[in-house]
Amino acid sequence: MTQSKFDVNNEQMTSEILDAERELKMGNQAQLDADKFARYALIGDVMRQKEQSTPCIDITASVAAAIADEPVYNMTEEEAAQELQSKNSNVVQMSFWRRPLSQVAIAASVALCTVIGVNNFTPQNNIDAQAPMLQSMPLTGTVAPVSLSSEPAMQSAERGVRELQKQRIGALVLEHQRQSRMAHALSKNTKQTEKDKQEEN
Amino acid sequence: MIKWLAVVLSVVLSTQIFANETINARQLLKDMSSAVQERNFDASFVVVKGKGMEPYRWLHGQVEQTDLEILTLLNGAGLEVVRVDDVVTYFEPQTEPYSLSTDVIAGPIPEVLLRDISTLDSSYEFVLGGKERIAGRPAQLVRLVAKDESKFNYWLWVDLQSALLLKAAYVNQDSEVLEQLQLTHISVTERPASQLLELKEKTLPTPIAALSDDGPVKQQNNWQIGWLPNGFKLLKADRHKLDLNNELADYFLYSDGLVEVSVFVQRPLTGQRASGALTSGATTVYVHNAGAFDVSVVGKIPVETAKNIAESVKRSL
Repeated sequence: MTQSKFDVNNEQMTSEILDAERELKMGNQAQLDADKFARYALIGDVMRQKEQSTPCIDITASVAAAIADEPVYNMTEEEAAQELQSKNSNVVQMSFWRRPLSQVAIAASVALCTVIGVNNFTPQNNIDAQAPMLQSMPLTGTVAPVSLSSEPAMQSAERGVRELQKQRIGALVLEHQRQSRMAHALSKNTKQTEKDKQEEN
Repeated sequence: MIKWLAVVLSVVLSTQIFANETINARQLLKDMSSAVQERNFDASFVVVKGKGMEPYRWLHGQVEQTDLEILTLLNGAGLEVVRVDDVVTYFEPQTEPYSLSTDVIAGPIPEVLLRDISTLDSSYEFVLGGKERIAGRPAQLVRLVAKDESKFNYWLWVDLQSALLLKAAYVNQDSEVLEQLQLTHISVTERPASQLLELKEKTLPTPIAALSDDGPVKQQNNWQIGWLPNGFKLLKADRHKLDLNNELADYFLYSDGLVEVSVFVQRPLTGQRASGALTSGATTVYVHNAGAFDVSVVGKIPVETAKNIAESVKRSL
């Protein structure tokens, strides 16, 4: 009985804090139900039809955990043996202490550039000293002249090019990252050969 | 007479102080690189690039004269790099793990700062800044100021007690922070972490055949790169296919000791495209449409610099 009364109190307190009817203080912080607060705030946002109020309930963590715990069915004995073998094998796997999450396997560096949309928007006759920036958010409508955007074929072709460019930029960033890994050894090498040459002379 | 003496004295003293300062800044960085190489530590840090954030864990230790290091990117699909003495192995999603024979991990901290900083002398000044409290510890700011204004500066905050790195940032010429790295936790221990002991027992892929050792890299004949900021040296020039989209590219790798710059010359994509840049933290990608070919420049350099490099590429006659 007292328990439920306490809950009701908390609920009221949370709601009052949300509505700014009550100040959040050290004293009542313990009574604030954080989960409830977040839900109330979300409900408020949805009701007010705020922009970007898509309900985002983060279940990724629990799903990932569930997947990891899920026993694998349909595993043939051979596969099981293989898995056992790979466990015993001395060759290092992607991670020593975790299972690789192949489902989310995207090279981080590539994600970096694909998340940001590539968009050409600055006409080349722009005599701005500043280099034109590829827009990080697609500008709808202003991208192409009206005459072009009215032709769907042109539009889709343009989208294709943009897609290709996005892919290319992803590949370039990844390649830069990979090649840079050798830079230190390479520069040491070059220095050594330079030194050797000087000594020879 | 006394006045003159005072002037002379003050000049002598101030140059003395100035000399001391440069020695100290340099010495502090040297202490930092030896601390990183000698101590057993378990550290966590985050790299903040604009709105993005990447958390890392970094372990280092020595087990029976073997130098061991693990660097793990904790978010997303992840990236794991391990080092056993002079072999560095990269574990990435969707790629077979591979090893390189190099004595330093290429991570978010410029490799040169973890090793021999003397290579930076020609391109950067070492300037001692103020003292600050970072990660709950007293820290000394050291600024690497680019001698060439077309590059970024690099600031480091070094722990006054342990000489370990607490914070670092790429800063542009207007003193705006573009990308920063901040330690969130570090524990320096007597004994190396257990993961390192485990690593020592593992078999790692054998390093990819060493680099072409026909002396200094020959400039490729197809293209002339007309302009680069001072201090950049060519490390590599070849033609190869890019991993992700299988496109062929003429490739050039340059470094000034602190940062690397890649220049790609490729077949142009069809369609009308303006040249443009894309940035993430300090990294700039500049794509230049030169008509008959595309030049792309990638590296931790200002957009204007990347643009100038890209536009300086000409077909050699």
